[in-house]
Amino acid sequence: MSEASPNQPKHANHPDQMPEFEERLLLAERKDWEINEAVLQPMFKTGRGFWILVAILGAIVLWGLYAWGYLIYWGMGTSGKNRPVYWALFITTFVFWVGISHAGTMISAVLRLLKADWRRPITRGAEAMTAFALLMAGLYPLIHLGRVWKFYWMIPYPNNRFMWPNFQSPLMWDLVAIFTYLIGSSLYLYLALIPDMAMARDYTDGWRFKLYRVLALGWRGTEAEWHKLHRALGIFSVAIIPIFLSVHSIVSWDFAVTVQPRWHSTIFAPYFVIGAVYSGLSALASILIIVRRSMRLQEFLRSEHFDSLGKLVLVAGMAWVYFWFAGFIVEWYGNEPIVRELIHEEVSGRLAPFFYLQMSANVIPIILLVFKRIRTTPVLLLGTTLLVNVGMFTERALIVIGSLQRNDLPFNWGSYRPTWVEISIVAMTFAGFALLYTLFSRIIPFVPVWEIKEGRLRYTLRRIGRLLVPTAAEME
Amino acid sequence: MAKDANQSVEGSIRWALVVDLDRCTGCQACVVACHAENNMQIVGEKEAAYGRWTHWIIIHRYWEGEYPNVKARFMPVMCQQCTEAPCEPVCPVFATYHNEEGLNAQIYNRCIGTRFCGNACPYKVRVYNWFRPEFPEPLAEQLNPDVSIRTRGIIEKCTFCIQRIRRTEIDARAEGRSPADGEIQPACVQTCPTSALLFGDLNDPDSRVSQLAHSHRSFRLLPELGTDPGVIYLKGGEVNV
Amino acid sequence: MSKKLTRRDFIKITAGATVATGLAPAARRVVIEPFVDPPEETLPGQATWYASTCRQCPAGCGIVVRTINGRAKKIEGNPLHPLNQGKLCARGQAGLQVLYNPDRLRNAVRQSGGRGSRKYEPLYWTEALDLLKEKVASLSHPGRLAFLGGLMPDHVYQLTDRLLAALGAAPAVIYDLHSTLEGRGPAQQLSQAFFGTGDLPVYDLAQSDAVFSFGANLFETWMSPVAQSVAFGSMRQGALSGRGFIVQFEPRLSATGASADEWVPVRPGAEGFVALAIGRIIVEERLGHVGSHRDHAVLYQNVDVGEMSAASEVPVDTLRRLAKAFADADRAMAIPGGYLAGQQNGFASMLAVQALNLVVAQIGRQGGVFLSTPAPTVALRNKPRVNPFSDVLNLINRMNAGEVDLLIIHGTNPVYELPAATGFAEAITRVPYVISFSPFVDETAVWADLILPDHTYLESWGYQVPSPGTDRPVISGQQPVVRPLYDTRSTAQVLIDLAARLGGSAAEAIPWAGEETYLQEMITGLYGSSLGAFDARTSAGFWTLWRQYGGWWSEKEIRREPEITDIVQKPLPMSAPQYFGDPEEYPFHLHLYSSIALTDGRGANQPWLQETPDPMTTVQWGMWVELNPQTAESLGVGDDDIVLVESPYSALEVSVVIYPGIRPDVVAIPIGQGHQDYGRFAQAVTGSNPLGLLAPVTDPDADSLAWGATRVRLLPTGRKKKLARLESLDGQGRESIG
Repeated sequence: MSEASPNQPKHANHPDQMPEFEERLLLAERKDWEINEAVLQPMFKTGRGFWILVAILGAIVLWGLYAWGYLIYWGMGTSGKNRPVYWALFITTFVFWVGISHAGTMISAVLRLLKADWRRPITRGAEAMTAFALLMAGLYPLIHLGRVWKFYWMIPYPNNRFMWPNFQSPLMWDLVAIFTYLIGSSLYLYLALIPDMAMARDYTDGWRFKLYRVLALGWRGTEAEWHKLHRALGIFSVAIIPIFLSVHSIVSWDFAVTVQPRWHSTIFAPYFVIGAVYSGLSALASILIIVRRSMRLQEFLRSEHFDSLGKLVLVAGMAWVYFWFAGFIVEWYGNEPIVRELIHEEVSGRLAPFFYLQMSANVIPIILLVFKRIRTTPVLLLGTTLLVNVGMFTERALIVIGSLQRNDLPFNWGSYRPTWVEISIVAMTFAGFALLYTLFSRIIPFVPVWEIKEGRLRYTLRRIGRLLVPTAAEME
Repeated sequence: MAKDANQSVEGSIRWALVVDLDRCTGCQACVVACHAENNMQIVGEKEAAYGRWTHWIIIHRYWEGEYPNVKARFMPVMCQQCTEAPCEPVCPVFATYHNEEGLNAQIYNRCIGTRFCGNACPYKVRVYNWFRPEFPEPLAEQLNPDVSIRTRGIIEKCTFCIQRIRRTEIDARAEGRSPADGEIQPACVQTCPTSALLFGDLNDPDSRVSQLAHSHRSFRLLPELGTDPGVIYLKGGEVNV
Repeated sequence: MSKKLTRRDFIKITAGATVATGLAPAARRVVIEPFVDPPEETLPGQATWYASTCRQCPAGCGIVVRTINGRAKKIEGNPLHPLNQGKLCARGQAGLQVLYNPDRLRNAVRQSGGRGSRKYEPLYWTEALDLLKEKVASLSHPGRLAFLGGLMPDHVYQLTDRLLAALGAAPAVIYDLHSTLEGRGPAQQLSQAFFGTGDLPVYDLAQSDAVFSFGANLFETWMSPVAQSVAFGSMRQGALSGRGFIVQFEPRLSATGASADEWVPVRPGAEGFVALAIGRIIVEERLGHVGSHRDHAVLYQNVDVGEMSAASEVPVDTLRRLAKAFADADRAMAIPGGYLAGQQNGFASMLAVQALNLVVAQIGRQGGVFLSTPAPTVALRNKPRVNPFSDVLNLINRMNAGEVDLLIIHGTNPVYELPAATGFAEAITRVPYVISFSPFVDETAVWADLILPDHTYLESWGYQVPSPGTDRPVISGQQPVVRPLYDTRSTAQVLIDLAARLGGSAAEAIPWAGEETYLQEMITGLYGSSLGAFDARTSAGFWTLWRQYGGWWSEKEIRREPEITDIVQKPLPMSAPQYFGDPEEYPFHLHLYSSIALTDGRGANQPWLQETPDPMTTVQWGMWVELNPQTAESLGVGDDDIVLVESPYSALEVSVVIYPGIRPDVVAIPIGQGHQDYGRFAQAVTGSNPLGLLAPVTDPDADSLAWGATRVRLLPTGRKKKLARLESLDGQGRESIG
């Protein structure tokens, strides 16, 4: 790696003066220990704002736990569900969280395999998002149970009644898929964390030192260890892709395997997966913008990262529109009576406000993200990506709740209104997610330092003759 | 997966209910008889208004025409005991399954309340216990000991009064015979004043339900869904006076 | 845990002490016996079935009750009983919630805080009976005793009648809302006018192939709905001769009308005109195959079809078509129903309808009109008859004038069941002492000084000759299916005890020691009858078989053919309906109707019945007003909007149900809700008793309350109250897409 020598002539067109090269050089200016400090420093900053945030989030979580206890004690009747809307806000939020979780894998695994270097500062934040989103999602199969104290019957264990769970049920597939995904992405998160845990161990003391020492698993940074790590990450990257694709497909099949009108659609699996990617990537962008600001990680999370992330969101969004349209046109064209009724409800009936909210909140960002200005201005990107998630949550709500309000026998139609219990519990998972993330940001280095350093190693400026030529090296 | 119970295996039974819409007067005797037989909870006005009643059989009422040429028609709907039941595969814990007599059985103490089956049923005949049942004393004295009481969080539905089926089969077996056609009567069938409801073994070619199943008036609900229900409706008649 | 132990002990106690039949209620001791010596007929886990009679309405259907370990679990129709043939209606099925109702009185009580205080002090029965005797004996004159009863079972009525006669008091005044709504009084008088006897007609629906029902809700609450429904099933799909049809003539399409083939929306009170027109057309145009034109032409002498058509708002073509169908049928039948009786011209209308049966010569023929068979023995023939309404009004006047010192009430709830405008609620406060036999604290019992709660019917002995009857002589028997739950006492036993205490002529008139011996003696005349469905060799054996069968009936069909009076020789009277209320100010006819679950309100304390959806509106736990869609539109109201329904007498607020099957100038409200007392389930429903809207007008010809003759107006309030409907309002009318 060459450091720019102070004697470099400052010509125009000189690499030194070109912004993109300037940026790289800027990073190359920093020594390793400076980077470490820069990443670790924000972790120690727990000012008043931080504690107020934790208190508020904690209060919401506690209130949500109370609401959950209330729900368990008094019964599912304290929620707003009824016949025929047997699933409502809980399942909506469940699907939403599972969707959010897809971004992590997208960034870490898929982009790793595609050798997209801009992923480097983002991977940990993304994987953490996946893990926490899955944790939140994993609460819902428990929350929505009428007899949650018997939840363990869904776990296949040998018992004296020889009763096994029914693996034909999509809920069991959910269980397996989410569990696998959670374990997988947690391991993936953890594996990629080990070198940084070692780094943190070496730079801290007190309780942190003790914690990091345990988590570092005695990492010494030897060649062999790095080699094994890269092998493991390589395998994970490939292995987690099918899980990533299947999880949301399976969740979508919770709906698609029934004969409920508008659920019984073959397009659900890819539609949900792409929706998840769209939603997750947007959430990731939102979170990164917020974290970047609050932890002052501006030099690590730069406009080029958001630019690329924004482009990914754009592509995912366009794909989402395609799948939505593919699903919609066959329903609309097929003209099945109840489906027609549901479409009518959505387009010009009582559900219309939600439908138009969904469409505008999902489509407008796509248009906006075409513009680089939007993608690279943090505030604008934040607004755009939050809008996407508003739209995607509404989309899930329309699918789950909207469809259940109608069915094949009009005598049995119904409607739904959420209660404080449901809202509290949903708020609990949002607050819980935020709380976990906030605590995470103060315990775990947010930016994967070793990956950044690795990335730096890949791209260097080498002098060939009088030219400073950017070069890239294969690391793996 | 639901066994293909309508394959005629020697000696296998397929219970079926025939609902003669020409006789049904919508009197709700079946509704109350079902409550009395099966220990259902009463939910009160507020919960009933929100669609949380627990009737296992309800009588749909359909208006036809405009004043003054108005007609109303009744259609009792209970669990259709579908052979290809959409509710059976989706239960994660096998709380609902197809038994060897063609019934869609519900095991209350196995149900953990995911309500997936409630969504999967296209007839929406499955009802849920949203709260704990309350039987202010001494109403609890009336409870039928043959039927378990379901607490909150459990899905329930019409069982064709399986407790009566079993009891009669056991008693008949003790006498060394099998139940005669018409001997087993679910509560609704027994009380229906117009005899609009009839119960029997569809696999027995001599039973009345078998013969009525071939009536030109017979139809099933939502046949296009392929559920193969065990409830056969006989179309109401019409006379132009 | 302790609760479980208590229950086990309780079972042991009750099982050990349970000998449900044969133990005289007077000998009620709790005996704790171990299971080593169990009662003979009970096995743990096995059911014992007892035959009795349902008393949820006056029809008197036979029931069998499944009891396990001394608890009643399920009521079914008695398959042997010729009236209902093993079938039972919704109210019959709900009877267990009367027996096990949490709001029953458990003792004889006195209202210690004064009437209306709802503070009760329990009394021992010896005290209570002494108090009763003292009140009766201390009357200055027996005429100052008034007994107001509902249509009580025959055995109680016969005892009451004997006692009152022996005391020299006026006979009981019989009034209850159910009887009023089914037009029982006018029907009795109709029978008298046509057939010379007060016994009610029996309409042979099963064999009929063309039924014209004029305001009779045959399959809901009118007369003998279970028997009529059984017959309907046969008529539709059971008759070898093909499927019969029904035409329903009423201003509002009832559930019965929904089962009919055609509904003719007749102007309220004009049903008689329709019948007259049809009769006239048949006679004039010589329709049908009976050839009755000459004989019956005189009946329709003064009838002009065009006028009748205009008055009833039924087109002449329709009348002609229906007349032809009626006359061409092999076994046509016309039924005058309860709603007709509720109009001011009710009796005239009923005459006109019954006359149609004459015209097609269906009196005494298969598929036509028969008469109820009275009891086979003279001793059993004394049945309660509904009193003319003027008797009720007279009683109220006497109460107001202070001429009644002691009022005894049994089986009726007049504060609720009489229109408020009659002033019963005020009059009762003028009576120094009021005694009620009600097992529940209802609106009337709240104004009683002393309540001597009767057993509920599942704990009672008795018998009842069903009226209307069926195709053969029947007496329904009643026996307790469980030990009485509480320290209540059957009214029959109370009367017997009272007579014993009073001594003198009373004790002579009622010499029996207990109600069982009384019953045994009363039915003893049946033993030895060769008609009976069962034979016994001894009278004890007869008593046993009587209880096992649930009564006595003839083995074979013995239909009683009516004899027609000279009514056929005069023109039928024509009387225009009259309504109370200025049509300008009160544009709508108020059509009150008996709810299929609650009937006249007596079912309101049974939660099963409250949660039963109404067949036509699917509403549970509520009351509503039904409006024609056009009417609703013109008023600017929709489903669940609250409107104020105002009559010249009173007003109430109620939610709207848009109801296609009702005339635009008619609004309908079901009866049964609006209870201020009567238990937690009845009181849980907000609403007002719709009877409060009624004007106290009568049909002068039948001397009955004209409860369908009040006009009302509607005012939107701008508020909404969601009704607990079963059906989805969004999905209403969209069935064609499913």
